Amino acid sequence: MAGSWVDAILAAGAVPASYVPDASAGRTDVEEFTGADLVEDAELRTRSVADARPLSPGAVGFLDGIEQWRVVGYGGVTPIVRGYVAAAVRRRGPDRRLRTGSEQSRELAITRLESLAAPVRRALETGGVDVVEFAAEDAGQPARAIQAARRELERTRLALERELAERCLAGLGPDEWLVVDGVLSDSVALSAHPRAVGVIKSHGAQYFEGAELERALTLPAGHRTSVFEPRSRGARRAIYSWYLRFWPWEGNDLLYGLVRVEARAHPDTLARASALSAWLERERSPLSTPDARWDRLLYPIHDVETYLRSRAPRDLLSPPGSRLPRTGS
Amino acid sequence: MIQQREPTPIGRVVATELKPATPHQFHFWTANETTIGIGAIVRVEEPGERPGKGGGGRVVYGVVTDGFAYSDLATPLHDVVGAEGDPAKATESPTVRQEIRLWTAAVLRQHPEEPLQPVPLGAVYVASDADVAQALRMDAYVAGAQPTGIPVGLYTAAGLEAPVYLDADFLLGPEAAHLNISGVSGLATKTSAVEFLLASIFQHFPAHKGRIAALCFNVKGPDLCFLDRPGPLDEADRRRYERLGITPQPFERVRYYAPFKADGVNLNTLRTHPDLVGDVEPLVWGLAEVLDFAEVLLNRDDIDAKADAFIDFLSDRVLNKEFDDGFGGSHRVQSFADLDGLFRAIFDGLELSGRSDMWRTHHIATIRKVRNRLSNISTRCKGLVTDDGPSNDLPWGRFEDRTVYVVDVANVDPLGQDLVFARAVSKLREHLERRDLGVEAVVVFVDELNKYAPGDGPETYVRKMLLDISERGRYLGLVLFAAEQFRSQVHRRVVGNAGTTLFGRMDADELATPGYHVLSPAIKIKLATLPIGELMLRHPHFTQPIFVRFPRPAVLRGRDGVERFPPGADLPFEEAVVRQLVRLDRRIRPNQVKDLIAERRPDDVRRALAAVRRTRPDDALAYFRRMLGARVAPAAAPAREAVPPLNPISEEPY
Repeated sequence: MAGSWVDAILAAGAVPASYVPDASAGRTDVEEFTGADLVEDAELRTRSVADARPLSPGAVGFLDGIEQWRVVGYGGVTPIVRGYVAAAVRRRGPDRRLRTGSEQSRELAITRLESLAAPVRRALETGGVDVVEFAAEDAGQPARAIQAARRELERTRLALERELAERCLAGLGPDEWLVVDGVLSDSVALSAHPRAVGVIKSHGAQYFEGAELERALTLPAGHRTSVFEPRSRGARRAIYSWYLRFWPWEGNDLLYGLVRVEARAHPDTLARASALSAWLERERSPLSTPDARWDRLLYPIHDVETYLRSRAPRDLLSPPGSRLPRTGS
Repeated sequence: MIQQREPTPIGRVVATELKPATPHQFHFWTANETTIGIGAIVRVEEPGERPGKGGGGRVVYGVVTDGFAYSDLATPLHDVVGAEGDPAKATESPTVRQEIRLWTAAVLRQHPEEPLQPVPLGAVYVASDADVAQALRMDAYVAGAQPTGIPVGLYTAAGLEAPVYLDADFLLGPEAAHLNISGVSGLATKTSAVEFLLASIFQHFPAHKGRIAALCFNVKGPDLCFLDRPGPLDEADRRRYERLGITPQPFERVRYYAPFKADGVNLNTLRTHPDLVGDVEPLVWGLAEVLDFAEVLLNRDDIDAKADAFIDFLSDRVLNKEFDDGFGGSHRVQSFADLDGLFRAIFDGLELSGRSDMWRTHHIATIRKVRNRLSNISTRCKGLVTDDGPSNDLPWGRFEDRTVYVVDVANVDPLGQDLVFARAVSKLREHLERRDLGVEAVVVFVDELNKYAPGDGPETYVRKMLLDISERGRYLGLVLFAAEQFRSQVHRRVVGNAGTTLFGRMDADELATPGYHVLSPAIKIKLATLPIGELMLRHPHFTQPIFVRFPRPAVLRGRDGVERFPPGADLPFEEAVVRQLVRLDRRIRPNQVKDLIAERRPDDVRRALAAVRRTRPDDALAYFRRMLGARVAPAAAPAREAVPPLNPISEEPY
């Protein structure tokens, strides 16, 4: 399908391109200070999870998504991006093996239609591909346009993940949990579900200041912080959260092995925060190497990514060769 | 019966730049839980199109030669870190790492065969019966107007039991011939395999190829002594026989031959149980039979042209002729005793006449050497070689179809074994060349080929003869089935000329020798651990070795045979003579014989007994009495038909 609409726009006058911009940073946390309200202790404390009895659900679903993109043409200076997003839930049962429970993918073209010549626009509109437009103010400078396209792609992926997660929740068994790579608070269903947990690897958002911030970010391995509730921002729902350290950070980096966990804002979460943390700590093995984020990346999430990448269109990957101009020979 | 092919793919061909698919090899992955293993035959279908339906999709058959399993673990160190250095914790990980079962397969056949192309990256299926037949090119000779398939065993993998056939034209000639089987001793595989295969050949030898017999040399223990007795078979064996289309039964016609012991009356074999010994024919040779193969006796240590010339002189000018010794004596040499008389006359004559040390251009030392060698054989092989008396030989010219002739030389002196082997095979060759053996093809089974055709050591007559059979026997219908423990130690042209090769469980040291470098490490491991009843098979139609399982032979195994039919103790001379005569004529009473032979010289008794055995008269006792009355004159030897000399063997194999 991809070939058909790309061929069509090129035939309609778009200048062919083959450019994979640098990889995105992935789904990041909100990069601002939001603050948080402590719900477990009066002040942020560190708690060892070593003595906690790990939660041991009968089955667990792990959800993650990927996005891939490539600039396939230009209409004037407006980039036409071919994007691909996919998400999957891989389910782990008593045999400890991961199997795909459900998955979803979508291909889309991202551009600004009104900036394109009429034939190219028509080719896109009739090409059978979903077209997502970035804002008009981003259409001028190509570098900005490409970043805008990337944001649209990320939004599409998040929506796809959310859709899949909510569908998965509906079929979740009584002893089954869903672990999501990222925040829960984007979704009403996720943030309210008693057996959904989010694991956030990036730490752009700042919830504490001063001594509490230092206490949170210098958390010893095998410890968690007190449970807190991030203050609401925009459409985000109430959620309980805490930091958890998988591996000792000393000698590495402050954020090394540090994740933030999200779960339903409910007293039950408070009661089993340590059990949940002990379970997640167990999930650090096996290591998710060779991924560079292995210190925070749960192996099953890594597995979902591997699965999705193995099924993604091969022509969206960066070509192995150089980008030197072709010679005549 | 053709089984329906299971259409569910069990794997997919994968190819990378480092591990590409080629026209001769490909790689595929399967689920971790799979019935596929080393030696399994698989079928690859080009995706998208159905072969044979006009679409022209390529179909490739391959045999699995290697297997790999690995996980996504980047380095072993990461497993240590993940388990915090505690191996027990490694098994506590909540998730099992992703693993792969990756297999390497060697291409057996492609369809279409031209143009020959790399294996397509298609789905992989377990081979069905029909696929196995296609993959091994058996379709060319199992079906058709004149099928030549000989069942050799069952290909067993992935729950399938598919018959595997050898092509009689390539097993028994004339296209190729000979079979070689290697394997460690003591696992009852080599001998069992040959017994089973002979039974299969006898039941499936194509009618248009004529008649066939087998001559087996029993060189150790009771291995081949009970081929006519049924052995125990279990249900699995019976099912395999049925699948192969072979009736599980012992050989219908087996003729046993064994020399006597030194006493000349008790047979030198383990088949001496009273119920069975009656079937064993004595194998007794006289001077004429030995002299033709004197080279066998002489080439071990010090053959020289002079001795050779003197033996030729004896054969051409003396044997069975009236001969004047030059000292006034006349001799008609028909036995070792006659020959010794001639030698004595020569030595006495030279001594008395005081003449030189030369007799008819032959030096006395040469004459003494030849005399020593010849008298040595009659001493060391006493029982096989008779000093003075008639011989009793294999039924040259009267070989019967589908009959096994077993020559038991297990307890014979090695020199005598060489002699028996050389003479029997040479006679076979001679008769097959003249087409008057009685059958059109003979399988000769020789165990311990390491001993008879070693890769190094002095050139012997037996080795030259084995080379001759292996290189030229297929044109005559003379087929060598040979077994040995160490193939690497057998003369390379003998094993190299074997069109069909079987391997049982192999010794690891043997597998490390250069002859096995073509096998993958996995195949070697499989060979080193092969269970009883499983073999690796190479055949001209098969482009890769195949593993087959064969049922237990339907005959009594040697060691079971001696338990069920314990060998009888050697009988006293008189009793042994009685038994032999009673076997020839049931009316004879033992006391009559004992009275007759009382106070008679044993040699006279043996001669008379041999005469009765040879003549088979209606009234055996009367004939025996008559023969005892006087010296039994040896039968007039028939005109000797010279055995053609072996063609000179050069190092050039073509």
